[in-house]
Order: sequence, then structure tokens, then C-alpha cells
Amino acid sequence: MDFKDYYAALGVSETSPPEEIKKSYRKLARKYHPDISKEADAEAKFKDVGEAYEVLKDPEKRAEYDQIRKYGARSDGSFEPPPEWRSASDFGGGGYTEADAGQFSDFFESIFGGAGRGAGQPGGQGFRHHVRMRGEDVHARLALFLEEAYSGCEKQVRFNVTEADAQGRLVGRLKTLNVKIPAGMTSGQHIRLKGQGSPGIGGGSPGDLFIEVELAPHPLFAVNGRDLTMTLPITASEAALGASIKVPALGSTVNLKVPKGATSGQKLRLKGKGLQGKHPGDQIVVLQVTLPTHHSEKAETLYQQLAEEEQSFNPRSHLSS
Amino acid sequence: MKKARSILEVDTTGQTTFTLREFCEHGEVHAEFVIKLVNYGVINPIDAGDAHRWSFDLPALARLRKAQRLQRDLRINLPGLAMSLELLDDVTELRREVERLNHMLAQLTRE
Repeated sequence: MDFKDYYAALGVSETSPPEEIKKSYRKLARKYHPDISKEADAEAKFKDVGEAYEVLKDPEKRAEYDQIRKYGARSDGSFEPPPEWRSASDFGGGGYTEADAGQFSDFFESIFGGAGRGAGQPGGQGFRHHVRMRGEDVHARLALFLEEAYSGCEKQVRFNVTEADAQGRLVGRLKTLNVKIPAGMTSGQHIRLKGQGSPGIGGGSPGDLFIEVELAPHPLFAVNGRDLTMTLPITASEAALGASIKVPALGSTVNLKVPKGATSGQKLRLKGKGLQGKHPGDQIVVLQVTLPTHHSEKAETLYQQLAEEEQSFNPRSHLSS
Repeated sequence: MKKARSILEVDTTGQTTFTLREFCEHGEVHAEFVIKLVNYGVINPIDAGDAHRWSFDLPALARLRKAQRLQRDLRINLPGLAMSLELLDDVTELRREVERLNHMLAQLTRE
């Protein structure tokens, strides 16, 4: 088990007064709250900050921690509590952390864990068999490729459920489900699988599994609701004369008619070629006129002729006042 | 351990609704909290009107849980909570917009 430096987690020192600790905690809790922060490890940091504050806000626990801290970590950063260590504060959870007490680190558990708490028992208490309780809901996230979301897919979902063992203690278990994801799901959409969460206790009904879908970034398409946007490079002659161009779409290739006199930045809409659903989205193609970097002598001559022919065209007319 | 071999089909999305009672059960909150959130416009029931006729959809449940976490962890009062959630919605939308624009820009500049 690793030693946890609670002072470092809150960015305070051993001599910091309680007000400073509280202030720093509040600030960091806002910063790392998983609903606010987009940092990849925000959730872990938020837990560390919460755990650190749980100890340092309480003068008794703080004093005990200071003692432990002097006893210190081994040179490799690992930690074992002193032999015969016993905390005076029988930790029963409290304040904001009550619901998450089971998620504190092993380090916390080894120092402040009360006698009635065994490792890996969220909530800490054993439930007797005559207690009837609905199983917990489980909330999971599922990342899909755009192609999978478009056509629907079968996915294996793994998640933790809590169930009572033979002694009535709550234990965690990894559950695996094969789920058929319907076509047309998009980022932030939810699926509910009734009764697939944690099993009920003492004959209670099972909880549900809720899955939130997240779309992985796609190299070609940007997703906006159900619409897909892509950039299509075309040549100057295709833009000037119009053309029929094969364009990649999800699950197929589409012939796109570029109108005569098209320009860079012009948007063409392929109706109904976006993500499917009650109101199917469109595929929006943004044209980008692209020129080669080298031109043959003949091409240069032709460009010269073109320049003379179209000398009235001034693309910078909006820049001069 | 029972091995999950069968494939679960999801019933048509967007069809799931909860009564106020079910909503409170899944959100692990009291009805009073939900009523307050509705009154502050944080959560909208599908059918407005009497509380006992309210029904809620899946996005509302996600929002309720978020509201509950923010209130519990940061001790925000209701007006603050309502404003925080609105700002967080804006931030989410802006982040998505930035992502989309960066995606387009990368294609235009071929980076």
C-alpha cells in the first residue's frame, strides 16, 4: 500500500491552520469535480482531495495522521501502519463523504478503518437476510465508433455490481453483458437496461443498468447532433465547371453533384445521410478549392489567359474601404 | 458466476419514462428535492401540471444525478445549482463546438 500525503493533496503544509485547509479543499473540490473538470484523472484527484480533507478537517484524525506521517513511508514510497496501530476515531463516515466512504484508499482504511469495517465492503455493514432492498443502479459509459453508432452494433459491457454474499456482506463483482446497441445513438444519449444492475437483497428487485454513449472522434466526420460535417477538396476546374464527385458517407459512397461556379467554403447538404433516427441527420459537405503547388508551362500560360479573361473579379473587394 | 452469453436488446431509445416515485428511487433523492429542481427550471418533466402526474425521461435522470452530486460535493444552494448546471451545459456545448471547429480547421489546413 502506498503512503498518502494528505497535505500535498490539498497543497497545504503541516502547519497550515484549519481555515486554510478548508479553503484549499473547497477550491480543489470545485476544480476537480468530475462533473466540472475535463481532465482525464479528475475523478481520482477529486477522491484524493476528499479523502485528504476528511482526515485533515478533523483535529483528532489530523493529529493521528501527523503521528503516522512521522513514522513515515518506506524508501520506496510504500507504507505499513505501525504494529498495534489503532485509531481512536472509529470511522463511520460523515459529512459530504458519507456516500463515498467505501471508496477511500487502503491507506485510509489501514489507519482510520473502524473495527466493524472489512475491506471491500461498501457501506461497511453486513445486511441480514431479512432485509429487503432494491439492488443498486449501475451507471456506465460506452465509447462507440461513428460507424458503430450509425449501423448499430453488439457490444460487450463490463461493470461492477454489488451483491450480498452468503454471510449477507456486500461484495463487488464484475459483470459482463452483451448488449445490442440500436442504430443512430449519439454522444450523451442514454440507454436503460432494466434489471441488469446490482441484484436485489433479500428478494428485492434488481437495479437497472444505465449506459451513456460517447462517440469517438472520426478522422473524416465531425458530429453535430445527428448531422455530420466533412471537408471535400476539389480542383479549380471542378469548381468552375461543376462535377459529379464520389464522396464517402457512413456505410456507403454517394455521388455528389458540385454545381457550376462553386466556391471554397460552400456547403452542400446530403439529406438524410447523417445519423439515423426519428429525425435523420444530414451529411454536410464543405467544399475546399485546392490547387497544385507546381504548374506546367502550358498551365501557367492558360492561367495567364484566365487572369485576363476574369480581370474584373476582385476577391479582396471587401478589404478596401 | 453465470456466464452472460445471450445478447440483450435495447428497447427503442427515448421511450423510457419514470414516474416521480421511480425518478426519486433511481436518483436516490427525496421528492421535495425534485420538486424544487422543477420549480427552478433545472429539470423539466415531460408533462407539466400536477406533480403526481409528472413523468421524466432518461436525460432528466442524468441531470438529476448531476445536480445531486454537485449539491452534495460542493454544497451549492438551489439558485447556485441552477446557474451552475446552465453554465456547465454551455461549457459542454462550447467544448463540442471547439472540437468541431478544430476538426474542420485541421482538414482545411491538412494538419
